[in-house]
Amino acid sequence: MTIILSICVAVVFAVSLYLMTGRELKSIAMGVFLLGHAANLSIIAMSRTPVRHEPQLLKGAPILTEGFDPANPMSSIVDPLPQALILTAIVIGFAVMAFLLSLLVLTSRKTGTLSIEELGVVATQDD
Amino acid sequence: MTASTTIWLLLCVLAPTLLGLATLFLPQKAITLRTLLALAGPVLSIVILAQHLAGHGVAAAADPMATPVISWIPLLNMNLSFLVDGLGAFFGLLVAGIGVLIVLYARGYFGPDEASLYRFYPTLGFFTTAMMGIVLSDYLLVTVLFWELTSISSFLLIGWDRYDKHAVKLAMQAFFTTGLGGMFLMGGVLMFGFATDIGLGGGGLWRWSEVLALGPGRISPSDPFIIASFALMLFGAATKSAQWPFHYWLPGAMAAPTPVSAYLHSATMVKAGVFLVARMFPVFAVLDLWSNILVPLGAFTMVLGAVVALNQHDLKRIFAYTTVSQLGLLMCVYGLGGMAAGGHPNIEWGITQIANHAFYKAPLFIIAGALGHYISRDITQLNGAFRKQPWMVLTMLLGGYALAAGPGTVSFPAKEFFLHAIHESAESIGPWWMLLMAMAAVTAMCNVAIFVRLLTTLMGWPGGMKPGASHGHDDHAAHGHGEHEHEHGPWAQMIWIPALALVSLQYVGGLAPGLWSQWFAPLETNIHHFAEGVPSALHAFTHPGVPLYVSLIAIICGVSIGLSPLMRGAIVDVHDRIYPAMYWLAVTGGGRAFRLVQTGRFRNYMVFVLLAFLAAYVASMVLDPTMLDWPQVESPFEFFPGVLLGAIICTTAILMPIVQSRVVRVIILGSCGFSVVGMYLLYQAPDLALTQLMFEIISVILFVLVLRMLPDKGETDRASGRWWRFSLGTLTGVAIGWLTLVSAQSGAEPRLGEFFAQHSYSGTELTDGRGGGGNNIVNVTLVDFRGFDTLGEITVLSIAALGVFSLFPRRKPLPTELEFDDQMARGVAL
Repeated sequence: MTIILSICVAVVFAVSLYLMTGRELKSIAMGVFLLGHAANLSIIAMSRTPVRHEPQLLKGAPILTEGFDPANPMSSIVDPLPQALILTAIVIGFAVMAFLLSLLVLTSRKTGTLSIEELGVVATQDD
Repeated sequence: MTASTTIWLLLCVLAPTLLGLATLFLPQKAITLRTLLALAGPVLSIVILAQHLAGHGVAAAADPMATPVISWIPLLNMNLSFLVDGLGAFFGLLVAGIGVLIVLYARGYFGPDEASLYRFYPTLGFFTTAMMGIVLSDYLLVTVLFWELTSISSFLLIGWDRYDKHAVKLAMQAFFTTGLGGMFLMGGVLMFGFATDIGLGGGGLWRWSEVLALGPGRISPSDPFIIASFALMLFGAATKSAQWPFHYWLPGAMAAPTPVSAYLHSATMVKAGVFLVARMFPVFAVLDLWSNILVPLGAFTMVLGAVVALNQHDLKRIFAYTTVSQLGLLMCVYGLGGMAAGGHPNIEWGITQIANHAFYKAPLFIIAGALGHYISRDITQLNGAFRKQPWMVLTMLLGGYALAAGPGTVSFPAKEFFLHAIHESAESIGPWWMLLMAMAAVTAMCNVAIFVRLLTTLMGWPGGMKPGASHGHDDHAAHGHGEHEHEHGPWAQMIWIPALALVSLQYVGGLAPGLWSQWFAPLETNIHHFAEGVPSALHAFTHPGVPLYVSLIAIICGVSIGLSPLMRGAIVDVHDRIYPAMYWLAVTGGGRAFRLVQTGRFRNYMVFVLLAFLAAYVASMVLDPTMLDWPQVESPFEFFPGVLLGAIICTTAILMPIVQSRVVRVIILGSCGFSVVGMYLLYQAPDLALTQLMFEIISVILFVLVLRMLPDKGETDRASGRWWRFSLGTLTGVAIGWLTLVSAQSGAEPRLGEFFAQHSYSGTELTDGRGGGGNNIVNVTLVDFRGFDTLGEITVLSIAALGVFSLFPRRKPLPTELEFDDQMARGVAL
């Protein structure tokens, strides 16, 4: 399962970097969005114990239930720390997304283009 | 000693600042009251210090006892405790004593200029406190703190005339140079503390009293950390005490009003470096580096300063360079002390050497300022000044005679001690002592020549300097009042009386050496050969030796050079270019480098960051080849839903750059996100899945809405850049994927997550029995254990929301300025 996740991380990361080095702001925004997914997937892979024994949904979610053994907590649940980290990351990623999209709208309204080359021309004209 | 001694000494340190600040509450016109109140600060310091010395005496040299500790910042080894040993007591009395005289002098110098005095006294008090703190603090880091405060107060005082750009520039030059030294000093102190802690155990040496008592037994002269920490501390001392090549700041600091020059830049602040060297002397002199650095550095600075001083016209610059020269001499004195001569350190009456310089140099500055005030500061303009201001000229000549180390002043035996030490150093350095002796002779010669020139010029005798084409320097501009409106009355005389008071001490030492010895012997720690006291001038003539012959040669040569027409020009010191060059390098050079790196192109930054990442990646692979081993992984196909979701994520991601239609791209982006939600579910993360699901839905809707507002031009992607973008992206992607695989399989146990699982509901003894009180571990972690992190996250969200809100124009435009005024007018009318 980790290997599948690693492949996903590699592919999504590669695609997002490809998009972000492009010359069109819309693609760059989508690249940023994908980058967040790749990073989050990479972190969740660290929790390591997912579907190894019990491919049953939410059997090992990090919630304290009857079978929890405080002396050996990781025997019944997955590691909660990566999940806490990702939860923060998702929210911040969303904030960045919203801000980026508003910048896009504003840029296209003011200049009528989202191509980096044409924006460069606009900027030199303003000078 | 009880804790109250510490409090008294703290008051002794703070009194000048407290009373200086108190003067701010007086009405601006009350000059006399203001002067008296400012005077009370250093007087109080002297009284407290004298009281302490009367009660407790001087701390023993070998095992000094500091006052009881009052906790301040124990964690950083910064506490309040004071060490009143001979050196500290002498410097404390010197600083406060000259402080008293400078308060009086400032009253004479600034005259009835209320605004200047109003601003001057608190700043002066601040400096006095900083200086007292340096010399009395027992904790090394507290000394460093006060050290920096002297740099700051010196900056304020040099740049006294805030509208004079040149003065401000010179103030910055002094601040940067001495501040840089302060940084080095702090590094040295920290390294010394940790080196003595780690290397030897039993806690580091963070107090001077401990350093002096335990240091000699615990410091190994070959320990590289000790050597490095010593070198750093020495750098700090050398910049503060204006040693070559950092001496340039001291003549530059002459832009300050003369009371400041007389106080900071002759007698006290520049002596802080010498003080530090004297403090370190009993412990660090065993290092080879001690003599090897201090002697050549001090000797070179000594000769350089003396020769440049001879070739100056401005009185203040002449005395500034002789100060540089004398500071070099003092460094050299302590450097020679590191060598053994006849079974004891090769240094005699070290504190007398320091006192000697303060007692004639401050008066010289004081009179230089006074003459500048009444006539001119340019020596060529002062021919025959004796007829106009006999008392001032007489005082200056008394100081000048001490500068020349004439018999009858304490300066004479001090110079003889120095020459004696050079002669004795032959035991350690062989024939090199002759070079040192020659350098000392040249220095003495220059000093004599300067005195002869002062004498002939000021008295108007033949051979004096005559007015040339050079422009005059004077002190009128510094305090902006008319040329001939000089004050009369007793306060006006304060412009020269403090100098006379101070310089008379020189003659006490010279004519009544017994009295001097009685005062200074309890403070001195280095009396070996001359145990019976400072010898009188007669002693030198009845016991002739190499030192006396060298002195006589220097005096004869000095007199002839002083009378000859040689070296009468004013030269520019090449070292004055150092700071402007550094400044240019930092500002202009830095600007050019900045523009070279910061292209403003997002793409360049991306490529730069990714290449740096890849380089670091390859480097770590080379350093740790086990990272390349294929980790133990289970079969990827054991769980079918995982494979399916992974395949969807990969496929949708790859389709993103290929598909051109923007609606389809948004849909693909959405499907990729929803598959990630599924992946979270498989990884037993319901909270993540819920959150991601919600944001994914909003994002897709947002994207669709936004896309309608954007111009529908397809991706203007040129084929040329595709291949390097593809390869760079693939390389980095594979690198990070491999990193994920390797790190997910590394077996770090116990995992950090266990803590959160165990403490989620109820606590353990690790947390004093406190738990989060919740069953959902992720939620408890976010709101409880990592609450500040979540606070930061909320802040980011609100800033983004504010940003979005402010980006778009408001529906209702704000009233323009005119309308606003109109509304206001109406409001007022109503």
